[in-house]
Amino acid sequence: MNMKTFLRSAAFAAWFAAASIAHGAPDAQAILAASDAVRNPDKPFGLVVTLIEYRNSKQTDANTLEVYSKADRAGGQYSSLIRFVAPKRDANKLMLKNGNDLWFFDPSSKASIRLSPQQRLLGQASNGDVVTVNLAKDYKAALAGEEDVADGERVTRHCYKLGLTELTPDVTYHHIEMWIEARSSRPVKARFYAESGRLLKSAYYRKFEPRLGVDRPTEVVIIDGLDPNWVTVMRYSDYAWRDVPDEWLQRDYLPRFKPE
Amino acid sequence: MQRLPVAMALALLMSAAPVRAADTADTDALLLADQPASAPQRPQDWRLSVEAARMHGVMQGGGSPVETARLSFDLNYDGKVGPGLRAVLSDRLDLVHSNTSPREGDVNTLREAYLSWQYSAQEIFDVGRVNLRYGAASGYNPTDFFKAGAVRSIVSPAPASLRENRLGTVVVQGQKLWSESSLTAAFSPRLGSAPSTNASSLDFGATNPRHRWLLQGSHKFTESFNPQVLVFGGEGTPTQAGLNLTSLVNSATVAFLEFSTGRGQSLAAQALALPEAERWQHRTAFGFTTTTAFKLSLTAEAELNSAAPDRPQWDALGAAALPNPLRLLATAQSLQDLPVRKELFFYASWQDMLVQHLDLSAFVRGDLVTRSRAQWLETRYHWDRVDVAVQWQVYSGRAGSVYAAVPQRRGVQVVMRVFL
Repeated sequence: MNMKTFLRSAAFAAWFAAASIAHGAPDAQAILAASDAVRNPDKPFGLVVTLIEYRNSKQTDANTLEVYSKADRAGGQYSSLIRFVAPKRDANKLMLKNGNDLWFFDPSSKASIRLSPQQRLLGQASNGDVVTVNLAKDYKAALAGEEDVADGERVTRHCYKLGLTELTPDVTYHHIEMWIEARSSRPVKARFYAESGRLLKSAYYRKFEPRLGVDRPTEVVIIDGLDPNWVTVMRYSDYAWRDVPDEWLQRDYLPRFKPE
Repeated sequence: MQRLPVAMALALLMSAAPVRAADTADTDALLLADQPASAPQRPQDWRLSVEAARMHGVMQGGGSPVETARLSFDLNYDGKVGPGLRAVLSDRLDLVHSNTSPREGDVNTLREAYLSWQYSAQEIFDVGRVNLRYGAASGYNPTDFFKAGAVRSIVSPAPASLRENRLGTVVVQGQKLWSESSLTAAFSPRLGSAPSTNASSLDFGATNPRHRWLLQGSHKFTESFNPQVLVFGGEGTPTQAGLNLTSLVNSATVAFLEFSTGRGQSLAAQALALPEAERWQHRTAFGFTTTTAFKLSLTAEAELNSAAPDRPQWDALGAAALPNPLRLLATAQSLQDLPVRKELFFYASWQDMLVQHLDLSAFVRGDLVTRSRAQWLETRYHWDRVDVAVQWQVYSGRAGSVYAAVPQRRGVQVVMRVFL
């Protein structure tokens, strides 16, 4: 770790520590868990994710994915089966995400390939982490204060600001700043950082609508940390309860997976 | 206590200016996202693509160049046809016009046609032509036991193309799943005796020449240790055992090992129909794939085949009769086996190279026995429904070496694919 990184980390930690001492009362981890519950249904579910990528205000890419997710009974983290729907060249390709156990299956070549987390990050699917992940399982939350912030629809919300630091070194983001509406536990926005302190991406959770019994975000706007002109809009549709047996969450089931 | 305000001031100094800039950028991004959303695309059971290609090849010894034009239709169907019942159809028709002698003809490849019945979440049965393909390695797959004779039409030497454009095997198979394990048993009956060159043949003689069977099992011991074990055998087929292992080395690197062993004839004996007793043969491929932050994936793989000739055997093969090396290469190509005892394989794949949607792929096969090389490089640009690619391939080495025996020394191919 170089001096600049060290200073940034120290400043970040001190800032959260000071803010937590000042406020004391609410349980940051419980706030984060409540926010996770807004984003993620508590039973196995499926949804369709449409990702639209813009660069310099022009649409440059679009992908559609079908996702089946299920929380692991032991760890509580999500395992997901993902099928590519569009573009046509990628149709029916599949991915299994089970923590860092990642497999990719191409039905054309019948190849089941193990992926490294870095390989997965090349694709748009990495942005899925912003939604289908239980942050409270992977991060330690500290309350950094309460703020009135503009949400993704430019409405001011009174929020808890949380600082999240990784509990295990194999998570995608080293630390996260997250704003959660105090009244409803809705996630409002988040900023995701690398270990170096570099901002990797910002996310706005918006267009909350009733889905599977709870008002959930149906759209997330992601802004690249390095190039703010690189914007990805993720839209969620077709929420449904799905049966996802444990037997399906393994490499040798991938060729069999056919969503409803 | 003195340090806390200093740290807080430092944090504010470091974060204030970027936050203001970020707020403006965030507002712009949110305005962009306010654009009306189109309806999400729906999955389709049918997929059809058309590919047009033009190839120019240069022969060894300066013979007449090879000119080939190809039009390919690629059709896939994967749909539910009843409760728990799934039908899969995959077919490719290559219409070929070339100046080679003998002239290359049109070829239809019925890759897959089968019914799959999911009796329960844990039990699945298949019947029909299925592309049963196994293997953790990239360039050479010793455990891909049904690969022999499966390729009817070679449109590219890239391993991914050879895996994709091939015939499946007619099987009856069942799979049993547990939460961390899977067991598959497949039986492939004899349905023909010899491969067919007829353009529209289903070519059961190539894919089902003998009764054969395969058992495949895997168990997930830990998140990173999930070995796959295979046993393959049948009529006139000595039993072979295979193993596939992969492991995550770090967040950017995956290591793999693929191994098979069993009795069999040497490649030279199979190519030249020599009366040779079967001996234990071992085939191995191992290596790693690492990925950089700028979307470049690199694979390095060592490949070993005890059934292939070593240096003295290769030299003797060429000295005995000039066509022998070519016959051995043709047999290795048909069996999709490694023609040399030891080889290094390097593969690179670079997404969005320099500009978005421009991809580069390349491989080098370095024969360590006679020091020859096979090289292939592709640049591909893709729009939403159209791909355009340029591919180069070069075989090089001194006279008498393995890849110098390939008749076509160089080739360049331009390909356009439209996804309908």
